Amino acid sequence: MVIGGGITGLATALNLARRSVGRVVVVERGYLGAGSTFKCAGGIRASFSSEEHVVLMKRSIELWGELSKELGFYYERGGYVWLLTREEQLETFKELMSFHNSLGLPTRLLDPDELGEIVPSLDTSRVVGALYDSLAGKASPFEALHSMYLEARMLDVEFLTHTEAHRLVVEEGSVKGVETNKGEIAANVVVVATGYGTRKLLETAGIFVPLENVPHHALITEPYAETFKPLLVDVSTGAYLVQVKYGNFLMGVEVEEEPGAEPTPRADFIPKVLRVWSNWLPWLPNTVVLRYWTGYYVMTPDKHPVIGPTGVEGLYVAAGFSGHGFMMAPVVAEELTNWILEGKPRTEQASRLTLSRFAEGRLIHEKIVIG
Amino acid sequence: MGRLDAYVCRCEKVTLRDVERAIAEGFTDLESLKRRLRVGMGPCQGRYCIPLLVSILARKLGKSPKEVAQPRVRAPLVPLPARDLMGGESEG
Repeated sequence: MVIGGGITGLATALNLARRSVGRVVVVERGYLGAGSTFKCAGGIRASFSSEEHVVLMKRSIELWGELSKELGFYYERGGYVWLLTREEQLETFKELMSFHNSLGLPTRLLDPDELGEIVPSLDTSRVVGALYDSLAGKASPFEALHSMYLEARMLDVEFLTHTEAHRLVVEEGSVKGVETNKGEIAANVVVVATGYGTRKLLETAGIFVPLENVPHHALITEPYAETFKPLLVDVSTGAYLVQVKYGNFLMGVEVEEEPGAEPTPRADFIPKVLRVWSNWLPWLPNTVVLRYWTGYYVMTPDKHPVIGPTGVEGLYVAAGFSGHGFMMAPVVAEELTNWILEGKPRTEQASRLTLSRFAEGRLIHEKIVIG
Repeated sequence: MGRLDAYVCRCEKVTLRDVERAIAEGFTDLESLKRRLRVGMGPCQGRYCIPLLVSILARKLGKSPKEVAQPRVRAPLVPLPARDLMGGESEG
C-alpha cells in the first residue's frame, strides 16, 4: 500500500505494479496531486551541491526521459541557467562546476554571447557569468502525474481518493495496515509519502521524522510564444522563472516565512518576484499575470529527503524533499522498490538518506535550494 | 460524419467530448478535471466554463450541482498586467 497520491506515491505504485508484486493500493486524502505535486514548477535538475543529490538526480533524469517516452507526457531537457551578478558567486559556481564535472554532470560556464543565444531577450548588462546545466529540464506536473495514474490503473493499481489515513496499525514490530476515515485497510507493506503529513502519520507508529512545512509562493502569466527553453535562476535572490509547456511564464522567489505558517497570499510576493525578473527581462511588465498560489517545501534539517525503511518491518517512508520531490520521484520510486523487494537500496548514495542518519548524526548538506 | 460537439471551455478549447472522455478515465472531481483538461485555467479563470463543467459532472455522477465542490479560486480574480502589480514606481 502507498499512502499519498502525489508524484512520489504514484511513481512508486507504478514501479511496484510493473514488478508484479501483487495487489497495490494508493490512498490519497484529497484528489491525486492535491499536495505539493500540482503546486510545483516542474523543474528537473542534477546541478546540486551534494554528491547524493547529483548522483540520484542524474539517474532520475535518465528515468524521466524513459518514462515520458513510454507514457507520452511532456518533458523537455531545456537546461537550467544560473545567473551570476557578483564575482564571489562566480568563484563559488566555478568550484561547483568542477564538482559537477567530477561526477560526470556536464555543467559549464557561458560567455555573454552564448548566454544571449540560449536566452534571447535577456538583459545581460549586469551578468558576470552564468552556469549552464544542459542536462536539466522541465515537465508538466499535471501530465506526468495523470499519465502515471492511467498507466497504473491499466496495471490494476487501486486508487482510494478522498480517503485519509489516520493511524498506522503496527503489531510486534511489523506493519499490518492503516486506519482511514473509511475503515481499516490491511497491508503488509506500507509506503508513507504524504509530505508534511508523514510526520503525524509516522508518530502513530512511534517514529519521529524531523519535517518542517515552509510556505512558498508562485505565480504564472498568460501564455506567450516560446521565448527560451531553460529555467532561469537569479542566484542573488534564489528566484526562478520558467516558460512552461503551454507558453506561460511561471516564477517564484522566497519571501520570509515561519516554518509551519499557514500558506496565505502575501502582498509582498508578487511585486518582489516581478521586480527581480523585470530586471533581467525588460519586457516582463508587459505580460499579464493570470494566477498566484502557494504551496509548501517540506524541509528536513539537512535539506535532503528521508527515503527507505523506518525500523518497523514493512513500513517505508519517502518525505522531506525540501522543494525537490517532483524531480526526484522516478529515482525515489526505483530506490524504494529496491528497498521493499531486495531489502537494500540500489545505490550507496540512497543508503545515506535513511531516517537513521538523524539519530546517528550523519547529516548531509545542500547549499542550493531555490524559489 | 461524427456527432456534433460543443465547447465547454473556449479559452483552452475543451469540448464536451473531451470532458466525457476524462470522466470515463476516472477524473471525477472538478480539481482533477481542471488539471486534466485545463478547463478554467485560461484568462476567463473559470468564469464561463466551470459552471458548465459542474452541471456536466453532477449529471454524470447523479449528484446535485451543490454536491460537486467548486475548485479553489486563485488571485488575481481577473488577469492583470504585470506592470500594475509591481508596486511603487516600476522601471518597466
